[in-house]
Amino acid sequence: MSDNVLHIEHLTMRFGGVVAVNDLSMDINRGEIVALIGPNGAGKTTAFNMVTGVYTPTEGHISLMGQEITGRRPDEITKLGIARTFQNIRLFSSMTVFENVLTARHLRRTSNFLTATFRLNAAEEKKMRQETEALLKEVGLYELKDEMATSLPYGKQRLLEIARALSTQPKVLLLDEPAAGMNPQETEELGAFIKQIKDQFDLTVFLIEHHMNLVMGISDRIYVIDFGKQIAQGTPAEVQNDPAVIAAYLGVDEDESGLPVGDPRASAQAAPPEARGPQNAETRGAKGVQ
Amino acid sequence: MNKKKIDSATIISAVIVLALYAAVFIAEQLIPATSMLFTVIKKGATYALVAVSMNLLNGFTGIFSLGQAGFMLIGAYVYGIFTIPVASRMDVYQYYNGGLVQFTLPVFAAMLLAGLAAAFFAFLIGLPVLRLKSDYLAIATLGFAEIIRALFQWDKLGPVTNGSNMLRLFPSFNDFNIKNADGTVAVYFSTLVPMLIAGVCIGVIILLINSTFGRALRAMKDDEIAAEAMGIRLASHKRLAFCISSFFAGVGGAMLAMYQTTVQAKSFTTAMTYEILLIVVIGGIGSVTGSCLSSFLFVAASEWWLRFLDQKQMIGDFEVPLLRNGFRLVVFSIIIMIVVLFFRQGIMGTKELPDLIRGLQGKNKGGADK
Amino acid sequence: MWNTVFPYLLSGISVGGQYALIAIGYTMVYGILRLINFAHGDVFMVAGIIMVYMAASGVPLWLCIPLVLILTAVIGFVIERVAYKPLRTAPRMSAMISAIGVSYTLQNLVLYVTGGLNQIYPTIPWISDSVTILGATTKMVTVVTPILTLILVVALVQLINHTKIGMAMRAVSRDFETSQLMGIKINRVISTTFVIGTFLAGVASVLYFTNYTTVIQTSGAMPGLKAFVAAVFGGIGSIPGAVVGAFIIGIAENIIKGLDIILFKAGVISGPMGLATFSDAFTFALLIIILAVKPTGLFGEKITDKV
Repeated sequence: MSDNVLHIEHLTMRFGGVVAVNDLSMDINRGEIVALIGPNGAGKTTAFNMVTGVYTPTEGHISLMGQEITGRRPDEITKLGIARTFQNIRLFSSMTVFENVLTARHLRRTSNFLTATFRLNAAEEKKMRQETEALLKEVGLYELKDEMATSLPYGKQRLLEIARALSTQPKVLLLDEPAAGMNPQETEELGAFIKQIKDQFDLTVFLIEHHMNLVMGISDRIYVIDFGKQIAQGTPAEVQNDPAVIAAYLGVDEDESGLPVGDPRASAQAAPPEARGPQNAETRGAKGVQ
Repeated sequence: MNKKKIDSATIISAVIVLALYAAVFIAEQLIPATSMLFTVIKKGATYALVAVSMNLLNGFTGIFSLGQAGFMLIGAYVYGIFTIPVASRMDVYQYYNGGLVQFTLPVFAAMLLAGLAAAFFAFLIGLPVLRLKSDYLAIATLGFAEIIRALFQWDKLGPVTNGSNMLRLFPSFNDFNIKNADGTVAVYFSTLVPMLIAGVCIGVIILLINSTFGRALRAMKDDEIAAEAMGIRLASHKRLAFCISSFFAGVGGAMLAMYQTTVQAKSFTTAMTYEILLIVVIGGIGSVTGSCLSSFLFVAASEWWLRFLDQKQMIGDFEVPLLRNGFRLVVFSIIIMIVVLFFRQGIMGTKELPDLIRGLQGKNKGGADK
Repeated sequence: MWNTVFPYLLSGISVGGQYALIAIGYTMVYGILRLINFAHGDVFMVAGIIMVYMAASGVPLWLCIPLVLILTAVIGFVIERVAYKPLRTAPRMSAMISAIGVSYTLQNLVLYVTGGLNQIYPTIPWISDSVTILGATTKMVTVVTPILTLILVVALVQLINHTKIGMAMRAVSRDFETSQLMGIKINRVISTTFVIGTFLAGVASVLYFTNYTTVIQTSGAMPGLKAFVAAVFGGIGSIPGAVVGAFIIGIAENIIKGLDIILFKAGVISGPMGLATFSDAFTFALLIIILAVKPTGLFGEKITDKV
């Protein structure tokens, strides 16, 4: 298919005896928003880490617009057009908001260290700065551009992570739990924002998320995995009514009081019925590779 | 937002630096050349360059390297080998029949070569070593410096390195002075030129740090995984920082050779690297200004201001206890430990001179607003 | 041929044993704190200096040795409390810099006390006596060292595997945070580690300086670095690894010292090559090679042996 952007085929990842991702196949088309959901420890972040080159898959293939990218270095993959955000925010802590976004433009440079040191790349540098400013305006962080990145409120830090990823000029944007720790209103705004940048930057979005309202609200298609294996896929409506999904999420007679006290998600989420699952799943003790 | 203020602070900083250079030049013409002041400035400038080059790795790239003495050694030797006048070679290489190299390079060409040689060795050693984690990298680079030290003392390389004998009679800082026909000095440059060399080199490092490559290095220091995910190739950028740092350590080594007027491999010990590391720590890891300040302070204190601690001192009839040879270094060590344990930011933290000025401007402005 | 090699091999085994005792301190501290204790070699040197001064002040030698060992252990304890404990939550680079600072301080203190002059180590009866083994004349200490080293290592491994504090040490080296949560008294474990490590360095100093007879402020730097390399070579955190690594490095270093003569007698070279220059450098070349090829060291993967 000509509009296929990301093609994942029989992807498997083993850590010793543990199979974190088991024979996962996905296809994401241009302009789609596709979500990968599943209980904690289901292997979602591991799948992301394979797509972005952090892990080399034990088996399987990944290709970006027909080009094989399996096992390539993370920086190469980013250069080819896949950018990501991190579940546990990883901003450059010694830098301002502006510098964080500007640094992510480094990979599109044409200068080498000599031309850059001796300012022979002044025109390019100026362009990079202007584009960074424009990007910050578009995502609404321009007013905060001279603040230290780590001094921003949590929600803004998540936004900055997205802005930084956009700055690498990606074709596919991978969002790893972008709404984690956000309140319902922020989550709703984030959903609109993701749709907006998708159109504006001609992106394809691939996200992992626990906030079911967000996932169901913006996704074109959803893949559901549990214990590393795909258990369902389809439109939000199809997935919501899939018995396998309901079983995986609600578990069988799991006691809701098993929710850890003080779990940040417990307070951050208004706990819509669909969202109960992942919280309960935490009591399984399975721990995802972050 | 405050673009204009940034510019003015930078300009004021540049003016301060220029004024310092002018002051050094004038002082050099007026004060006798034997003054301790000039010794301190010459050695301080040399150490400042080496400390900044080390800071580029430890403070701006997050690579904990302890190979600085090795790269300085390479620089010092390359400079010495290629600048000893042909006529003096029989003297210097007396055990090796005048040595193999029978030509001389101009001083600045030799310094450039010194840097390039150090960078080349850095490239080679970087291939296996830069993949290592922080503390393993530290010990591997330290080991590399020891290997270099042994290699340059090896008898079989004597025709080039003069074996374990010292290199001497190459041009020193004093040769920068302009002399009259009768041999008296017309214009003194022996302090200003080392200041200029160090200044230009440090200026280049500052330009690099503030370029897009410098931002990439800082990103790697902050978070390697995120940096790599933003398309920054870790291996090539680490190699770049390592080679550039070593280049300037090599130039610094050449300056040290000129300062000392002799070079001997056995003096480039790990203790030298430790000393430079401690200078960087006192100045503030991640501050070029801090490294420069701390180099001059360190040299001034150890060569000059604290010298009195090494001699008996009488206050009236009372002999101050403890003061004798070596006490200066004890006091020094204690100061260093206090900085390491209680003032981990050092003198400057990660701030630079323009930041300080900006701070002052902000304060004044705040005062005016009231 | 054997007659040429044997004396070098013998002193290699002896030095290897001394490195082993120092290396254990490095490897245990690294296993628990992930800190290269750069000052460890200098503590070893300070032990030698204390011995010199104590013997000179008239304390009988039989009393000096235990006193030196105890004092060395106390110094190890104090260094940890003063210089490393406050930095336990700081970035790893800070603790390493502090270790370098302590090393610098100890060297300068000794320089001040001794005036930078070589100090003659007291002659300890019996172990300083000459002895002839298989035609090679050497000091008794050469023979005693490997035996004593092995006895101490076996005792230490017993302590680690069969006592409560040993179990705590193993737990802490496996997982610092979890052990803390499980109620293990971290400070006691760390202090014990330093006390054991520096105690063994004290033993090593008695043996080493009996062999080399002089002590100066820089005497600890090279043996310290080599012992650390031995620890890395054997797989840092592993006590048997450190011991094996130390013997390999001690032997290799001494063989290289005599390599010119050995190769000459074997007819490989016709004149001196000056290869002895590389006896120290070889250790570090070995380090870089092992780190490039197998960063975990020879025994690095056997976590069960870790402390």
